[in-house]
Formats: sequence, C-alpha cells, structure tokens
Amino acid sequence: MKRVLYTMAISFLLLGAQIKLAELRAQSAPTPAMKASAIQVLMIQSDEIKLPADFQISLYENLIQQLQKQGGFQHVYREGDHNAAGVTDLVVLHSTVRGFKKGSEMARNVTTVAGKTSIDVHCQFTDKDGKTVLERDLNGKVRFLGGNLRATLDFAKKAAKLSHDNFAARPVS
Amino acid sequence: MVFRSMQTAAMALLGIVGFTAPPTVAQQPATGTKVVQFMGLEGVKAKSTGRLTLEGGNLQFTSSNAKANVPLHLIVDVVTGNDSQRVFRGTIGTLTMFAPYGGGRFLSLFRSKVDTLSIQYRDAEGGLHGAIFTMATGKADALKKEMVAQGAHTSIPIQDDAGSSDAKPAAAKEKKP
Repeated sequence: MKRVLYTMAISFLLLGAQIKLAELRAQSAPTPAMKASAIQVLMIQSDEIKLPADFQISLYENLIQQLQKQGGFQHVYREGDHNAAGVTDLVVLHSTVRGFKKGSEMARNVTTVAGKTSIDVHCQFTDKDGKTVLERDLNGKVRFLGGNLRATLDFAKKAAKLSHDNFAARPVS
Repeated sequence: MVFRSMQTAAMALLGIVGFTAPPTVAQQPATGTKVVQFMGLEGVKAKSTGRLTLEGGNLQFTSSNAKANVPLHLIVDVVTGNDSQRVFRGTIGTLTMFAPYGGGRFLSLFRSKVDTLSIQYRDAEGGLHGAIFTMATGKADALKKEMVAQGAHTSIPIQDDAGSSDAKPAAAKEKKP
C-alpha cells in the first residue's frame, strides 16, 4: 500500500515538473515578432512605485546606451524625437517600474549576502499605431560589487537583448 | 665651515618654501560648483569631474577635456537628492576587497555623503535626455534654486524638494544597516 502511495506521489511530482517545464519553454520560445529598423525608447514610468529621479534617468540612459551598443537597429530614438515620426517600421518601448528595493552598497560590501538592490520593470513593445507586439517582465539587480545604480545597467542589458532578439532587422556585426 | 653649512641649509629651506608656497598670480579663482558628471551629458565621458556653472541662460559643464552646454529653458525637470559613496572607490576601492583579514570590508565602512542633481532636458530634435551629477552636500539645492530662477522647470517645488527625503523614503538616503 505504502509503495503505491509513494509511486503515485512521485508520478504527480514528475507530472507537475513536466507541466512547469513546458510552460517555461513556451515562455522563453521566441515569439514571431515584427522586424524593425528603428526603436524608440520612452522615459521610464513609475506611477505606482516611488522611484528616485536618478534611478529613473539611469534606467533610461543605460537602456539607450545598451541598445546602441547591441546594434541591430539603424536608429535608437529618444522620447519626443521628431525624426521618429517618419519611420514606418518603428517599435516603441514603454517601460513601467513595478517593483523597487533600494539596498545598501555598504551592507553588500560588509556582509556579502545582504543589501541587494533590485528593480522590476514591465516592458511593453508597441508598433507605431500603439498595438502591443510583445510584453515581458524584466528585472535588474546588484548583489555584490558596485553602487545601487548598477542595477539599472543590469536591467538595460536584459532589455536590450530582448529587443535585439525580437525586433532587430540586422544581425550584430 | 659653519657659514657654508648655514648657507646650504638656508637654500634648502628656501627651496622647500618656494615649492610648497601656493601660487598667487598664475591660478585664477575657480568658479561654479565642483561636480562629478555621473552619466547622461552628451559628449562628456561618464564619471568625469568638472565644474557646473550658469552662464548666459545655459547650464555649462566644463572639465579638463570636455565642455557641454544645456540651455536652461530646455531643462524640463530638475530634482535633487542625496546619497552616500565609498571614500575608497574606483580601482583602489576594488583592490581593497582583496585586503587580508577583512580589511576591505572595514574600509568600505568609510563613506561620504553626496548630493545628487538629476536633470531632464530636450535636444534640438526634441529628444529627451537625462543627466546625473553628484556634488558635495548642501550644494544641490542652491544650484537648483538658481537654475529654476533662470528658466529651468521642475516637477518638485523647491521647498518640497528640500525635504524630499521625507516625501520619498526610498528615494533619498541610502539605508544604513
């Protein structure tokens, strides 16, 4: 009787794991998104979360820097740039901060395990008409070395990679 | 013999005094606020040290090898804040991490407070830019006041911004463990 129960429990566990794996695979599989020659980055919004101004600016500037560094887009436009109006295959990146925990660089240096800084950002990619083409939640964190603003660089790298993988028309040279 | 040794000593003393005396004529008094341009200013390398001045309706950043101007009327937001930074930072700061007997951890306890000044401005094409400056404590509010008086815009009025550490608990001061 005991053996039967054990077998059933293990079977359930394996089934659950398989379902979770399938879900993860479906999530990470590249969705067939549009290809764009240019991307426009809008200023990071944080209506629900009180985000310090320096973090907001750092997220925005790092995002633009990383997109330019990654390549794949002919132009990376900033919010409000008039030149973006004439581009037909433009993708617009809207970022909204959903979670923010400001850690402490001193705590990280002294204890190694405490003082983590993390930012959760919801990224929404739309086409020129405002239709959503991709949505993803990304995060940026700093655990060991560096100041708190380094978390914004971590996020920017992930967002730039996501943009490149899904929308870049040109492969990285 | 005694005279010669006295003469040598006097010359050595004069040499030392001449070397350490502060220059009076050659050096002009520096104007503006000494800042570190943390990031964002177009054409200026990140983390470069320089001076921030307000001249002819422009916010001017001048460092030893770069100069940048932002017209004050194009600044759409100025926000001040405060933070702290390691006294031993950069390459030396990283190297101290390898110091024996937890020396690096001990040195990381030494921190200095800084004021931050974050600005958002538009370029000629209408594109939005952001820049972050750090400076000695107590300088950012005065600079912001001057900028707003000369035409810059701000989303947080000055009297509120001065107490922004209360309004934005996460925004202002780094928590001490």
